[in-house]
Amino acid sequence: MSFLLGVALLAVVTALACAIPGVYLLLRRDAMMTEAVSHAVLPGIVVGLLIAGDLDSPLLILAAALTGLLVVIGTEYLHNTGLLEGDAPLGLIFPALFSIGIILVSQRFSNVHLDEHVVLVGDLNLAAFIHLELAGLSLGPRYLYVMLAILLVNLAFIWRFYKELELTTFDPTLAELLGFRVRPLHYAFMFLVSVTITAAFYAAGSILSVALMIVPAATARLVTKRLVHLLALTAVIAVLGAVAGFAAAYALDAATSGMMAFSFGLIFVLVFAGERAWAALRPRRASRVG
Amino acid sequence: MEPLLELLSDHTVRTVLTGSTIIGFVSGALGAFAYLRRQSMMGDVVSHAALLGIAAAFIVASLTLGSGHHTLALLLGASLAGVLSILFANLVVRHSRITMDGAMAVSLALFFGGGLTLMRIIQTGPFTQRAGLDTYIFGRAAAITRADLQVIAVFAAVALVFLVLNWKVFKLYSFDTVLSELVGYRARLVEPLLQATIVLAVVIGLKVVGLILMIAFVVAPASAARQWTRSLGAMVLLSGTFGALASIAGTLVSVLAGDVPTGPVIVLALTAIVAVSLLFAPHRGLVARALRRRRQRSELVREAHARGA
Repeated sequence: MSFLLGVALLAVVTALACAIPGVYLLLRRDAMMTEAVSHAVLPGIVVGLLIAGDLDSPLLILAAALTGLLVVIGTEYLHNTGLLEGDAPLGLIFPALFSIGIILVSQRFSNVHLDEHVVLVGDLNLAAFIHLELAGLSLGPRYLYVMLAILLVNLAFIWRFYKELELTTFDPTLAELLGFRVRPLHYAFMFLVSVTITAAFYAAGSILSVALMIVPAATARLVTKRLVHLLALTAVIAVLGAVAGFAAAYALDAATSGMMAFSFGLIFVLVFAGERAWAALRPRRASRVG
Repeated sequence: MEPLLELLSDHTVRTVLTGSTIIGFVSGALGAFAYLRRQSMMGDVVSHAALLGIAAAFIVASLTLGSGHHTLALLLGASLAGVLSILFANLVVRHSRITMDGAMAVSLALFFGGGLTLMRIIQTGPFTQRAGLDTYIFGRAAAITRADLQVIAVFAAVALVFLVLNWKVFKLYSFDTVLSELVGYRARLVEPLLQATIVLAVVIGLKVVGLILMIAFVVAPASAARQWTRSLGAMVLLSGTFGALASIAGTLVSVLAGDVPTGPVIVLALTAIVAVSLLFAPHRGLVARALRRRRQRSELVREAHARGA
């Protein structure tokens, strides 16, 4: 497999793995949780690197994802104290964790080599550097298979718990009344989100996962309401945005992650403008409420 | 005490300390309004979006003024991008099914992605003196110069004067939007004014704290201050004071310890202040609450015993 194709595939698979759980995050009004988790995994990555010594070790991803889960639980706890307004709990927890991460990185204790830029901004090309070879045949970047595994786990989880997720997303109270175990499912789902964000940091950097997770789903939400349609359209947009972003970055010799985020943003703006124009041109119904 | 005095006589240390204290106070004080609007994370969107403004202003300043390192131009660009990112998020919420958190995420991705792309263009482009622009992403207190300090002080003064002049309007609007409209203040005018204050609170700190951690300067002091008081005036003053104190402590620790980055240390100091406030504030605090519950429980038990139950 050629290097270029490998990187492009990695971009597409990463975008898909992030975008699909993003649909539920958007519907649950947890979109900014992605932003918080993506920053908060940094200390986990540093500690994981200390233990595992390898940036794509599953152990590292696990350690980082657990730190991400700290944000979810901590935010919930702070919110439940009733002492803080609005989304303040989120804005309190992740900067603290991120600061610990940055201080750890700055101390460069033992021989941990962690480039702040790679962790924050990501570098697809770097991730695609180590190729998997089997019997002398190049099978593409090794990291592609890590992301592919995560994509499959995400899909399997959503497939298995489709009904439960739908109910807890749209009507959590009813779900609880019906006897669904809302909280274990919520934590399991958020753990998966956290794993996905951690694994995606190569492609997105810890600061751009919010673009890959939320923007495709938000774009799909502009034009459709039904969950099935939303999921399908989100997947299509994720692929389109990843390819467009990658191609643009390649053509302009720009940073892949920034360009991908920007291209997802642009697709959103285009669909938003198009949908508005369509709504303005379409004949109105006779009476409007409100 | 001796090494501290010696430190304070150092010119660079004094500049950094003055800068971070001003930033801590002003973003703390103005952050109180972002907090009361229940949209603290908007500060995070603004700080990320600012990068697009900084990069664009750098390019414009390089082409027109000869040098991109023009603090005033960069901060004006940052403010403009910050305001646009808020307007964009509001526009999306008004005209679609998407809720505020989703709109914030989209706005952040669009502006920050654009900012990173522009930064890359600057890096590979024909711009001289491009070094140091990264400072706005990660923040480096030691990087602030006398010129930076002047611009920061001017922005801070403008923000505070703005706050004092609009005090009554902001107060009423923050607590009761409907009433403030009934009294005759136009939401369409007050809302952008309030948001402009949030933007000012965010942009002045970018170079010292970095865009990722700036949110803590907006949220943490206000969250802590809210626990101690119910009056807006006291809250704003206390919030500013907490911000300033944490900045002073963080800067000194980071300078004394050597190569520890300043922003993160200040954020940890702020986090400690919030934790203490949540735990030990009178009446509202978690400890006070637990003690009160225990007392009530034992009183109830005693009463039940007295009735011979």
